[in-house]
Amino acid sequence: MEPEERIRAASNFLLQAPPGEINDVLNDVRNIVSDDEVLQSGVLSALREYNLAQFITAEVPGHQHQCIVSEAARLKVTEGEEGEEEETDRFWDPRSRTSFKFDHLSLEASDPQSVEPEPESEPFRAALEASTLTYLGAHFRSGVASVFSVPEKADQYIIQVVANKYNPANFWSGRWRSEYIIDFGARTITGKVLLNVHYYEQGNVQLETKHAISLAVPPTITATATSASKVLALIEVEESKYQESLGDTYQEMGEKTFKGLRRALPMTRSKLDWDKVLGYKLGAELTANKGAFGSS
Amino acid sequence: MADLVDSMLDLMRRLPPTRVEENVNSLVGMCPDYADDLLGSVDQPLKVLTDRATGKEYLACDYNRDGDSYRSPWSNEYDPPLEDGTVPSSKLRKLEITANEAFDTYREMYYEGGVSSVFLWDLDDGGFAGVVLLKKSLNPSSASEPSGSWDSIHVFEAAERGRQAHYKLTSTVMLQMVDRATSKTDNVFVGKEKDEKNEVKREGEVTLSGSMTRQTEQDWPLQEQTSHITNTGRMIEEMEIKMRNLLQEVYFGKTRDVVFDLRSLDDLEKARRQRELQKELVGFIKTR
Repeated sequence: MEPEERIRAASNFLLQAPPGEINDVLNDVRNIVSDDEVLQSGVLSALREYNLAQFITAEVPGHQHQCIVSEAARLKVTEGEEGEEEETDRFWDPRSRTSFKFDHLSLEASDPQSVEPEPESEPFRAALEASTLTYLGAHFRSGVASVFSVPEKADQYIIQVVANKYNPANFWSGRWRSEYIIDFGARTITGKVLLNVHYYEQGNVQLETKHAISLAVPPTITATATSASKVLALIEVEESKYQESLGDTYQEMGEKTFKGLRRALPMTRSKLDWDKVLGYKLGAELTANKGAFGSS
Repeated sequence: MADLVDSMLDLMRRLPPTRVEENVNSLVGMCPDYADDLLGSVDQPLKVLTDRATGKEYLACDYNRDGDSYRSPWSNEYDPPLEDGTVPSSKLRKLEITANEAFDTYREMYYEGGVSSVFLWDLDDGGFAGVVLLKKSLNPSSASEPSGSWDSIHVFEAAERGRQAHYKLTSTVMLQMVDRATSKTDNVFVGKEKDEKNEVKREGEVTLSGSMTRQTEQDWPLQEQTSHITNTGRMIEEMEIKMRNLLQEVYFGKTRDVVFDLRSLDDLEKARRQRELQKELVGFIKTR
């Protein structure tokens, strides 16, 4: 296999890493590729893609909270400012008005700089953020949320939530991600909830769910501070509804799909009588043989 | 380089079970020298093939493969045909035929459908080994109906010790279930009339997939050759009952608990305030 092909395969493995296990996967991939130089130059973009998609969190330098490192948090470089660089690894935390450099391998933030928010969108964004943090505290034990305004689209806001639980001692990990794009131009809210659970004690069992939500922004909601809690009330109802429906799906899968694949016991409600299972077949064979002897 | 195989196996224990075939192929491409080690240790979903001679379905895995051909347990023929393909000794083939009939009955009793296959092979030390395969798939008639598949792979080694036989059994069950759901409900705004715009559209997919492996070693009495079938039959039946319970616990219990741990349905803040109020009340009553 060509080096580029090996890197492509390695990158593909990294992108599939379960919650909290990226370093384990990277370690395995490192042994398999066994060429650190090729690996280092090749997999950085995969690590970046993974971190952004998985809503990896960072400690904001100089502040006591975490923020989400995602595409929405990424600072776009205006041409000429930092040369011809295509992608930057600077992200911003609107809550502390701080931007920072992010290392996709060590997951460390550095070089903090202050960022001035857009004056028109900031009041509603800040109100949305306050409501989001209240909602986060009410339903997530270890959640992190970030709320962004969108630079070129003055009437768009993005809410992102991530909650992680890693328990390697008991061989499980889980991640909840949700994102809502509130567009006052189109008057729509589009959201998604993504769940991943990995259980790996003497096995490998994974739950993967995708859920998309779309609705119109209710007429009573406008981009004013008082509306922010109404947006979060809608999100709370939708997420709780989704969680309840997931409970129903579990029950249906257990009662229909699981039972339909293999019964707990045969119709007779007892285990097989293996002597009879064999005897029946042998008996049939003997009768067949007898028939054969009789006709000869 | 046992190290390398360990890394490949560790990787396969972490990556999504739904993509095991694709990932095994990538690994084989990256490390072709270790293809046999990998294919021999990673369980993949069983393929269903049709015996050309009898028209009966059988299962294909690494144990009935020779080159690019697979042997059918019903006709003992390889497909595509092989002139010198490995087959069991005639004594063992006789036992294999009976075992296939017995486990076909077992399959019907527990799976009420699906496909089963048993393959036996001679071991150098005079004993023999075998694999019992069972597969059932639920194919939905529409996209909104749940789908699923169950694959059992039971590999055993048998060693005869006089009127006793010692068995080593390694069992793997691969289970996958997918549920797709779409719903539309009206979003009722306080004080507003319902119209076509206030509708919430929801669309989702839930996939539970994975595999679990367990081992056991047991001694059983041996009266005649067919005792091997009743012995392994009882062991496999017991193991599948145990593993079905285990899968039920992990799939529907453990993964669900993690979800409800990540997000609480109840308001945590409210619960915390209630606990504080209760503490306060207890303190108040005590001081009186």
